[in-house]
Formats: sequence, structure tokens, C-alpha cells
Amino acid sequence: MSQALTYEAARDLLYREALLMDSGRYAEWLALFTPDIEFWMPTWRDEVTLSDDPDRELSLIYYRGRRNLEDRIMRLQSGLSVASSPTPRVVHQVSNILVTDAELGAVSAAFTCHRFDVRMDRADVFFGRYEYRLVHAEAGWSIARKKIILLNDTIPTVVDINAI
Amino acid sequence: MGTFQLDDLIDDRPDEGIFRVNRAIFTDADVFAAEQRAIFEQGWVFLGMESQAAGPHDFFTTTIGRAPVLVQRDGEGQLRAFINSCPHKGARLAQVRQGNARLHVCPYHSWSFDSAGRNRAIKWKNAGCYTPAFDSEDHGLAPLPRFGNYRGFLFGSLAPGELSLADYLGEAAKLLDLVADQSEDGLELVPGQVTFTFAANWKLQLENCSDAYHFTSAHPSYISVLERRQQEMSADVVASVWENSDYWKEEAQGVAGGSFSFDHGHVLNWGIFGITPAIPLYEQAGALGARLGEGKRDWMFNMRNLTIFPNLQIAENASSQLRVIRPIGPGMTEMRTWCIAPKGESAAARRQRIRQYEDFFNPTGMATPDDTVSYENCQAGFAGAVQPWLQGHGRGMTATQPGGNRFGDRIDLKPAHNVLADSRLSDETLLQNYYRAWAARMAPELAA
Repeated sequence: MSQALTYEAARDLLYREALLMDSGRYAEWLALFTPDIEFWMPTWRDEVTLSDDPDRELSLIYYRGRRNLEDRIMRLQSGLSVASSPTPRVVHQVSNILVTDAELGAVSAAFTCHRFDVRMDRADVFFGRYEYRLVHAEAGWSIARKKIILLNDTIPTVVDINAI
Repeated sequence: MGTFQLDDLIDDRPDEGIFRVNRAIFTDADVFAAEQRAIFEQGWVFLGMESQAAGPHDFFTTTIGRAPVLVQRDGEGQLRAFINSCPHKGARLAQVRQGNARLHVCPYHSWSFDSAGRNRAIKWKNAGCYTPAFDSEDHGLAPLPRFGNYRGFLFGSLAPGELSLADYLGEAAKLLDLVADQSEDGLELVPGQVTFTFAANWKLQLENCSDAYHFTSAHPSYISVLERRQQEMSADVVASVWENSDYWKEEAQGVAGGSFSFDHGHVLNWGIFGITPAIPLYEQAGALGARLGEGKRDWMFNMRNLTIFPNLQIAENASSQLRVIRPIGPGMTEMRTWCIAPKGESAAARRQRIRQYEDFFNPTGMATPDDTVSYENCQAGFAGAVQPWLQGHGRGMTATQPGGNRFGDRIDLKPAHNVLADSRLSDETLLQNYYRAWAARMAPELAA
């Protein structure tokens, strides 16, 4: 039987996710996602409309399955990607957390990520909204869906999964 | 202008086996300003696809060099291109990248223009106490001096000139045909735009698209992801074109691809992928062969990176990308990029194309960032000019041949030069073709 999501549980999970990414604890970060996670950052179709069909419109990132996030983490840590080393320093600030449907585990939040690219001595900021669906399993709450609505989508050279 | 003459920047001595490029062409502000005048504001520049303004009164906006451009279709279906600037005070007229407008009303003083660019109203004209001389002026939008459409690829020029678009594209038009003919219904850009910048010179993007040499060096993390996926064969992962090809692998034997160089700076580098299900076009392989012949069909299944000088690139390798290069400054470039696709392909093929695209081409993906960051490393390195001449344009010089070859003959391709390459030759003479066109255009600017 499903368990209703509380604000405190949602807040703790989102804060933990941010902390794990910001501190480079990638294996623990991956463990927050269900094996069939839908991880989606849509493009903007035009100035005011987001794309909404990942099968017919381009996304910035679209994955079904945690193993795709494992690929991204592997690349990030591999030492084989010049864009990923040295790893940029990031901090995610997550706010405006609202449980929009406790039965479905739906959560809305706002985010700001500051990234300092050590290589280029350059700081960037990325901001937008998150839409989550959280599910409860034996180990607690997990992320079954994460949609990232990036508002400033002119990308300065690169945006990897650690900066959104 | 300035301190440089052409010989200071491009050292082209074919009889001595020397072709060198001075780092200053990537960093010097005077060279950049001269490029804007001589290349972007003189000749043919790619604007966009006809499909971006498909219906009556549709429009899209872009730039030529520094100039804002409005491409607009009128109610009868005719496309035109204008400077996107109100003749009254110069304000940018259309504010968005793409839209539909029977009438553009300037947001500053409400002058209005129909979809054929004609002035429709000047607010309070009769009360304006204008002179007869003003009344005799044309108050419509300024059309681009030249505007051309090759099979849905739209080009414009800010200056009149002798060279027709057909003559400018020349034999390279046959490579646009390889894109345009993939569907009888034509081409479209998949909805969803991706824009990124990099802090480096625009010519690094020009070069990288044509540079087979960097793939295994700049993208080992992507290659290791492919290897991991191959071991798993999971339904969750996207099938990659690369993992099904030996084209880029060192141990491959024989001719693996090569390059073609065309007049006016257009180039292609290509590799043999073969007709594999990893390519979304696979479902059409039989029909394309029957309709177009096997030679042309087989070429559609080759890896192809095409540059139409100076600002259009179509990369058909991991997926299919159309790129528009926009120089912002000597050390800053903006890229507008789209997934380009044949209309009418199956939902499964379209999904596969999109997933492959995101994976490889996006600035949020796993390959392009390792290119653009490398451009930035070049830009940083260029500042050291103790040895001003770069050594990056010499591979393939003893392999280059005038005219075409047996592979190009299959589509009757008659380039100026070609190189046939094994997997490791990684020709750089096609980059020389960029700089010879660049030098020809820049010569008047760089005269003593």
C-alpha cells in the first residue's frame, strides 16, 4: 500500500540529493533513483513554451533507466573527459518545495545551481524548477521521475548533470 | 588595416610542402572585424531552413554577421529576407526567433509592416508635418541585397555580388542533396532549440567538424560509455552509430573514408558506416535505393560532416545535426543547433534519432562539451605567440589528389581535391581549403 508523502520527507530527500551531488558522493546520489527513473530536461520549443513530447521533440537530456545516469557519472569521474576535469565545484540551492500530490508523491521545487569552473576561472549560475515523483520503498523514499526545467538555456559551453 | 598582411597570417607555399596558419587569426580584434566585413557581410551566408517558415505569414529571425535578419513568408507563399530593423528609429522589429505575423507592428512607435515587408501605416502620418521628400521615400523594410533558396536551405547576402548561390555552392550542392533527398517530403528541424556559446574563435568550430584526428583523443570517455553499453545490451540504452562502425578504430584496414574540398571553402569529411540498423534511415534503405539508386543511397549511410563556408555545418554521424555558427567576438562564438530529419520517418526512427542526438551532440551530452572545452583550451593557448605558426594543418599533404575519386564518382561528385584515408591518416588538407577561401576573401582587407 502506498504511503502518503509529507513535506518533511520530500524536503529531506531533495536536500540530501543536493548535498550528495555537491560533495561528489556520486554512488550515494545514484542510489536515490529508482532503476527505471525518468530523468528529463526538456528544451524550450520557443520563448515561452517548453517541449513536452520527448519522443518527437528534442530534449536537453532524456533518460529512462538509472544505468544511463551511471554512464554520466562514470564519464564525469573517468578522467577521460577534458570537460569534466578538474570537476567543477557546484552548490545546489533548493527551495519553494511543495508537495503537490501526496498520494502520487508529486513535488515541485525551485533550484539555483552555482558552478565554478576551476579550469576557466569562471562562475556560472543555472536556475529553474524541478518536478519530482517520489516513491516509497523499503529503504525509504526514492526518485522515480525528475523533470528539470532549465530557465536560462543558452548554455555557456557545457552543462553536465552536476549543474542542474 | 592594422599590422598584418595576408602572408603574415597564412603561409601557403605548396611547392615547398608548407601550409601554416598564424595563431593571430583566432585572437586579433582587427582580423575579426575584417572577417565580419569581408566574409559575413559580403558573400552568401546560411540563414535557416525554409521549413522554419513553412506556412503563410510564418517568419523566423537570424543574423548575418552583426546584422539582424527577418525571413518572412507572405500570404501568397513567397519568402523574402529583410533587415530586422524598423526604418523609423532602427528598433529590432520581430522580437522572437520564430512566429506567424500578417503584420509586424514596431513596439517603439507603432509603424507597421505587412508580411511582404511593405509599410502599412505610419502612426499619425497626416498630422506629422512631413516634407514631400519624406513622403517620396520607401518606408518598407530593407530587403537583403541577395536571398536564395537551395532545396529548402536559405541563404542571404548583405552585399550585391556576381556569384549566384548555385555557383557559390557548386559541387557541394550534391552533398546538400544527400540530406534533402532522404525523404520525398523534404526536411524538417525537430522542435526544440539548443543554443550554446564557447569562449573561443568561430574557426575552431569550423575546423573541429572536419577534424577526424581528435575523435579518439577528445572523446575517450564517450567511447568507454559505448563499450560499457555494448557489454550490456540493455533495452534502456540508446544504440549508437559509432559502436556499430569500425571507421574510427585504429585496427581497421583499407580505405575508411576521406575528405573532399570544394571551391569557395566548402568541405566534407566522410567515413564508411555501412547500412546498419543503428542509423535511423535504415527503415528506408530499400526504398531509397529503388528511388535514387544504390550509389546515392549508400552515400546517405556514410558518416558525413559537411561545411558550407562560412557558417553552416551538417553533421551526419552519431545522429543528424544542423549547426549555425555565429561569431560574437574573436574569443566568443554562439552556436544554434538543431536535429535535422527527413519528414515522414517512423515514430521509432525519430525517437532513435533524437536519443542519439542528445547523447552526442548536445552541450548537455557526452561528446560536444569535450570539443568546445578543447576550443577554449586552444584559445587560451593561442595567447602564447613565441612560435606563431601552428602545426595543425599538415596531415594528408602527400595524399591529396586533384579532382574526385571512385567513391565520389558514385554520386558524380567533382571536388577540387580529395584525400582517401585509412582510419589513421586523419586528413588536415581540407582545413587548408577553409583558409584558402578565407585568404581569398580577406585579401582586400589585408593589403599593405
